[in-house]
Amino acid sequence: MTFINYVAREINCKIVYYGPGLGGKTTNLQYVYDITNADNKGKMISLATETERTLFFDFLPLDLGEIRGFKTRFHLYTVPGQVFYDASRKLILKGVDGVVFVADSQAERVDANIESLQNLKDNLKEQGFDLAKIPYALQLNKRDLPEVMSVPELTKLLQVKGEPTFEAVAPRGVGVLDTLKAVARQVLVELRRSA
Amino acid sequence: MNSGDLVLHDSELSRLKSILGKTQRAVTAELVLLIERSGQMLCSEGPAEVDLTALASLAAANIAATDGLARIVGEGEFSVVSHQGKNRNILITAVTSRFCLVVVYGGATAAGVVRLRVKHAAAYMEQILRHLARGLRNGSEDAGERTLDFTDDEIDRLLESRSSDSDGGKGVPS
Repeated sequence: MTFINYVAREINCKIVYYGPGLGGKTTNLQYVYDITNADNKGKMISLATETERTLFFDFLPLDLGEIRGFKTRFHLYTVPGQVFYDASRKLILKGVDGVVFVADSQAERVDANIESLQNLKDNLKEQGFDLAKIPYALQLNKRDLPEVMSVPELTKLLQVKGEPTFEAVAPRGVGVLDTLKAVARQVLVELRRSA
Repeated sequence: MNSGDLVLHDSELSRLKSILGKTQRAVTAELVLLIERSGQMLCSEGPAEVDLTALASLAAANIAATDGLARIVGEGEFSVVSHQGKNRNILITAVTSRFCLVVVYGGATAAGVVRLRVKHAAAYMEQILRHLARGLRNGSEDAGERTLDFTDDEIDRLLESRSSDSDGGKGVPS
């Protein structure tokens, strides 16, 4: 749900990072937080377990700048990737404007990627969204690790609609901003289309 | 606009803020916020130094989790969430299926008084918020919304202004 405040001249959008557990969703947000100067970001909130696994969500409010005199504020959320937190994932998709799927490129995680992608489709549907229509980007993370699947193999398995797709190494920031920009662009284009 | 999008103009905002202000004074609340269940804050009355964005996000998550709990135990919803602390308390109340009122108040105010005042405020707000939703469905948006007709160049400039054009991630052909 995009929230347009004509009084404050603000556009507020919600982007959710989805994907299997330990795929790098929180690391994406942490990197964006680390490289953004203080004026353009709010406090990053992580509701995590003692072992730093996401329990409910991470949240990062981010100002991307102004367009036509409107401040653009993107609220970035992650979901908990572990399978048994499905109830929480559904809640976080409420009012989403765009989704990033962070896939784990390691061959041993292929089933987890496929299962999580199907879960995303199901949970979006439950919230009244269609993955085929919502702004969406695919990130192939952990490209620096050994035993990763090839990019063509992964895209064949995971691309759903020719969405923008990026190779990434999230701890080093490789591909992180490109992915975010790709989904932010689609959200703004969708806002223009529906205005 | 998409049917789920929310557009707030000056007239609605003034009325909503007026109700928030009255509620704040009536219960000597530190802070009163109107939030949408996706975590966006519509408006608030109270000190600006509080991180309202984070508060709105967490309050929305809180009520969403509570709704989840309600469903699991066979209850339609728990329309009020209350947290009591040593010095501060928080009351979160559903105004409509989409909006919630969050009140942060001190220990000197009785919880029952806050609940009663919030109930009155919610009733007034409900009318405004429903009217707002009807207006959107009927396509009666302000002509100013044409300003959202961004060009591709404007979107490019916005996204490129924030940092370097690329962070080295390799795009993959679709």
